[in-house]
Amino acid sequence: MAPAMTDGMQTELRTLLRSCVQCGLCLPHCATWLATGDDVQSPRGRLILLDEILGGRADAAEPSFLAAFDQCIGCRACESACPSGVPYSLLEYGQDLAFAAAGSPAGWSSGPALPAPLIRRLSSVRFLRTAAAAATLASGLLRGLLGPGWRTRLARAPGGLGRLPRLLGSLPRSPSADEGVVRLLNGLIAAAAGAAAGRVEDPSPSATVGPESRVASPDILFFRGCANEGLMPGTSRRLLDLLRRCGCRVDVPQGQACCGALAAHTGDGRGREDRHRRNREAFGPGPAPADGGPWILVEASGCGHELKSVPGELAGEVLDATEILTRLSLPPLRPVPLKVAFHDPCHLRHGQGIVAEPRRLLRGIPGLELVEPAEPEVCCGSGGAWGLRYPDLSGILARRKAENLAATGADLVVTTNPGCLGQIAGALADVAPGLPVLPLTDLLWFAARKG
Amino acid sequence: MSMPGQSRASRPGASGGSGPLTDAASLSVYARDASHLALGRPAAVYLPAGEPELRAIVRQAARERRPLVCRGAGTGLSGGALPGDGWVVLGTSRLLGCGPVDPLGRTVTVEPGLLNERISALARPSGLHFAPDPSSQSAATIGGNIGENAGGPHCLRHGVTLQHLRRLRWCDARGEPAGTGRGLPLERGFDLVSLLCGSEGTLGIVTSADLKLTPDGRSVATLLAVFPRLDDAVSAVVNLLGSGLLPVAVEIVDQAMLEAVEKAFAFGFPTDVEAAMILEFSGAAEETAGDAARAADLLRRGGARDVQTAADEAERLALWRCRKKAFGAVGRLAPSYVTMDVVVPLGRLPLLVRDIQDIKARWGVEIATAFHAGDGNLHPGVHYDDTDPEQARAAHAAADAIIARALELGGSVSGEHGIGIEKLHVLPWMLDAESARLHHEVKTLFDPQGLLNPGKLLPAPGASFAPCPEPPESVDFQWESLTARAPASACLADLQSAAMDRGLWVPLGAWLPRPAGSWGLATAGTVGEAVADLVTGPVLGGSGSVRDCLLELWAVTGDGRRFHTGAPVFKNVAGYDFTHALCGSGRVFVEMQAATFQLRPCPAHLGIWGLKTAGGVPLDWPALEPLLRRLRERPNQPGPVCLVDLEAPGGGTLIVTAPGRDTDWDLGALGRLVGECARQAGLECTAQAVVPFRDGPTELAARGLLPGWAAAGSDWDLLGLPAGAADPGQNVLPVRLRRAVLQADPWLVWTPESVTDPAPWFADAVCRGGRAAPLPRPAEDVPAAYLRGLKRIFDPDGRLETPAWLEEG
Repeated sequence: MAPAMTDGMQTELRTLLRSCVQCGLCLPHCATWLATGDDVQSPRGRLILLDEILGGRADAAEPSFLAAFDQCIGCRACESACPSGVPYSLLEYGQDLAFAAAGSPAGWSSGPALPAPLIRRLSSVRFLRTAAAAATLASGLLRGLLGPGWRTRLARAPGGLGRLPRLLGSLPRSPSADEGVVRLLNGLIAAAAGAAAGRVEDPSPSATVGPESRVASPDILFFRGCANEGLMPGTSRRLLDLLRRCGCRVDVPQGQACCGALAAHTGDGRGREDRHRRNREAFGPGPAPADGGPWILVEASGCGHELKSVPGELAGEVLDATEILTRLSLPPLRPVPLKVAFHDPCHLRHGQGIVAEPRRLLRGIPGLELVEPAEPEVCCGSGGAWGLRYPDLSGILARRKAENLAATGADLVVTTNPGCLGQIAGALADVAPGLPVLPLTDLLWFAARKG
Repeated sequence: MSMPGQSRASRPGASGGSGPLTDAASLSVYARDASHLALGRPAAVYLPAGEPELRAIVRQAARERRPLVCRGAGTGLSGGALPGDGWVVLGTSRLLGCGPVDPLGRTVTVEPGLLNERISALARPSGLHFAPDPSSQSAATIGGNIGENAGGPHCLRHGVTLQHLRRLRWCDARGEPAGTGRGLPLERGFDLVSLLCGSEGTLGIVTSADLKLTPDGRSVATLLAVFPRLDDAVSAVVNLLGSGLLPVAVEIVDQAMLEAVEKAFAFGFPTDVEAAMILEFSGAAEETAGDAARAADLLRRGGARDVQTAADEAERLALWRCRKKAFGAVGRLAPSYVTMDVVVPLGRLPLLVRDIQDIKARWGVEIATAFHAGDGNLHPGVHYDDTDPEQARAAHAAADAIIARALELGGSVSGEHGIGIEKLHVLPWMLDAESARLHHEVKTLFDPQGLLNPGKLLPAPGASFAPCPEPPESVDFQWESLTARAPASACLADLQSAAMDRGLWVPLGAWLPRPAGSWGLATAGTVGEAVADLVTGPVLGGSGSVRDCLLELWAVTGDGRRFHTGAPVFKNVAGYDFTHALCGSGRVFVEMQAATFQLRPCPAHLGIWGLKTAGGVPLDWPALEPLLRRLRERPNQPGPVCLVDLEAPGGGTLIVTAPGRDTDWDLGALGRLVGECARQAGLECTAQAVVPFRDGPTELAARGLLPGWAAAGSDWDLLGLPAGAADPGQNVLPVRLRRAVLQADPWLVWTPESVTDPAPWFADAVCRGGRAAPLPRPAEDVPAAYLRGLKRIFDPDGRLETPAWLEEG
């Protein structure tokens, strides 16, 4: 049950709301508006609804209002786009207000595609690990049984069966073994060389990244994250490998928990606070010491956004992996003559404001051509648990994202968030079969590996 | 893009597919838009996914006598898209269809829901863009742009939305489909495109549009100049444009606006100056570099503290982002604001800026202003706290004072945002009673039940209207404002000659051989004829028609009532655009009395190249076609006009003429291109000269280049390819003419030979015996009932010309 809002909070909200001049410039950046063309499902529309409630012109329990708030992915693309600097996070308060008035726990009243208890389970590390293994197995089996195009065929199946491909598609399938990554990338490089015979390759063997503040041997505390640890165990190991080769001392604190984002997604405030507490215990309670303390490295941007959301909570500076890697002296990188498109996870781009770092890392790889897709700021429709609850909207957005990525003519898509990775891989399998998605750190590891 | 049906079902009250949406959330959200005004609460919202569905909704609304308002992205600022109580809202956000870009015809067909910015993105691979760029362009739809006749910074050189519409398909108040004609650049007749564009959804609903695309500049130079004093900045713009420079955009942001923009984007603008100016030049590399240097010098001498050039594309885009999102950034200044879009003759801009300072002091309000300074168009935003009724009253009083002052200076109440409901009370301040009456009659003709966006745009009947201004009795130049007013009887050639003395002209130099063997304006001897007949010759050095440089019109209806329409300003969206709708309508609806034209820098030179085959081999079309095609693609510069005469002694001649600013990079480059093309076609160059532009016709005759043309007679037919009919690149000529004058951009052919329609081409017998021929029969998609209705409104007793096709039925 969401807490009731005090009069003081309502007044503050009203003041914040008035910074919206209703110009509408947020609309084309909003994933749900792009998918529906419906102004109710736009940031401005939702702010108008909030204004109606606060102004006493509408009942907060009105179901159509509730649904409009609930369908917001929370990607914050609107916040990046807004010229007036409207803090769209206030929509979350709108959600609270509406759900409190409706007398139901946030997020679960408007007919989501999957039952709430099942999605709650998704916050569990153990569940994710099992699901990942099962999904990989199931995808393989289904592909074997139904042949190419199995996803499309299955999606047409009636009832719950039709949802299976999306469920499976939302779980990443990047190679876990080192050899798998090497084989995939070598294959792509050979294919690209064959396709574009005569493409000039940069013969220089190495390049370094991150000119500004190189640290010889920094201390890094590694935040494991449940999703990527469960779903991309090889990737985390390769990132650790890369960091150690850069001269970092990396420690993985024991007893750390999920960042709490998934609990927050499901409206479970208490669960979120519990995980924050456990992480304070594992990493040491903040604020960080005067010298900045160790870097707390976060691999998945969703976790990074969550951990940074409470500044000074931990005894070190929380940094995304791309932020840390650009600050390090990387080992010599071998050429990767591929056209690569980077997909910005919303939690990285809008949540943490990190846009340049991943691109700088990619441009530092010799021979690599970085291509920019259209609509880089638009959400891929994964949105943590959101995609499972609104599979139709999520599917439209995944397809739109995949089409934009494929239109760049890239040989490879890289990203930094496991949720996006799975969502995009699933859609690319239909839109551009043969265009793989890899974690950015896997590509860097490949370029930096010995031998 | 596919649209979901199911996802909507998750909102209670939302049925699947495209509606109607009647849930509380939909009715609340669609009752509001960017205008901050309120009218009422709709009964239902529809988001049709196709044109048939759209028409079905309009039909149903008509049956139920329910008012209907069309809405794009809700970015309008005058309340044009707001519904009243119980209305139907028809959202176009799912009408996103778009045809392939035609790179040679420079057109694309789009549905109304497509976002403005998306059109340029689609055209970019072809080296083209859609020039109108309202600040809301990232979110605004093309349908909304057409409804409001939107402008934008880059309209200074390229013109507003209307000038980029070739043809519209629309649906009338009964839900019946209709068109506007063939989309020919010089199509004569009552122009429904001009009438519908800017009519704010009160006459019909556009279902798709053929847009004109503009070639990208080969090089772009963007300058940022900061001025310690706002007055200096504004005066510098007037001097700059008067000096013969024509940037694609000249924008000014004042200090208050600068602060908001700095808060939003942290670009690094100084906030200790009263004004920052953004200037952009586009064209050949030599041209932009030279113009930018000249402009920088002029601005420094005009009081600029610092003038910088954007170092790269990223910096250029960042500059424009700051400018274009400025209006959203004002939310950082105050919770509420009233933004105007007044426009005044350019030369009066410094006066208005000074008066706004007085108004600010008098009413004790804060005002932040962004200017499309080159257009004389400005957006003063009066900021206030809407919880304080005293502040709100003062803000609106100050706004009305600014509008009234702009009108006193000869301006218009709205240059971009439209009337909507916001400016209903000020529209009568600039319309005369007769013009207002025509507004209502036209509205009743198109929407007899009064269901299409009722209560918008139209002046309240019985209001106190402005007197009809007196038409000029002789040619009257406003050099600082770059306009020329002239009575219909004035000789256009004299007007041009006087303007050319100052390095300016009205870019409609239509030249055809005259019977006497000399060159000159073919039929458009007078200003009135030029306006009525749309100038019936190739436009040398321009790229449009009279419609594109006409600003203001005085006319008399068939029953002798004089009215005035338009204003001597570069942008005007106050009321129906009778000015452009009547331009080219012959002598059927009104009699032209006087007109105001926009002046532009006149080209300095005319390049002339005479070509023929070697050794007396007859010249033929197969040899000419590839050559003409290549010349046509000459980017960025006005296309050449070519004269083909296969009857000329010695096997026939081709004469290429083109205006130019410079003899080296401009005409020199064209000369090299002509030479190269000629070699490939096996032609030899027999004459080559660069002469002063204004002496072009006499020079051509004096050099003996036109021996055969004297015999051509005074009957001329115009051949044009309707928009979207076929790839014009494949159709240099529909028939093998012996004599023809070819205009490259837009692609049109004049011939003294009599031609009937060689489908898909359209032929118009524009000139018979030296006089304009009767108006041709309009295309079949133009509903005859509306044309007959317009005839009844403008000429109730049938005293003016009535072509036979108008009497039928």
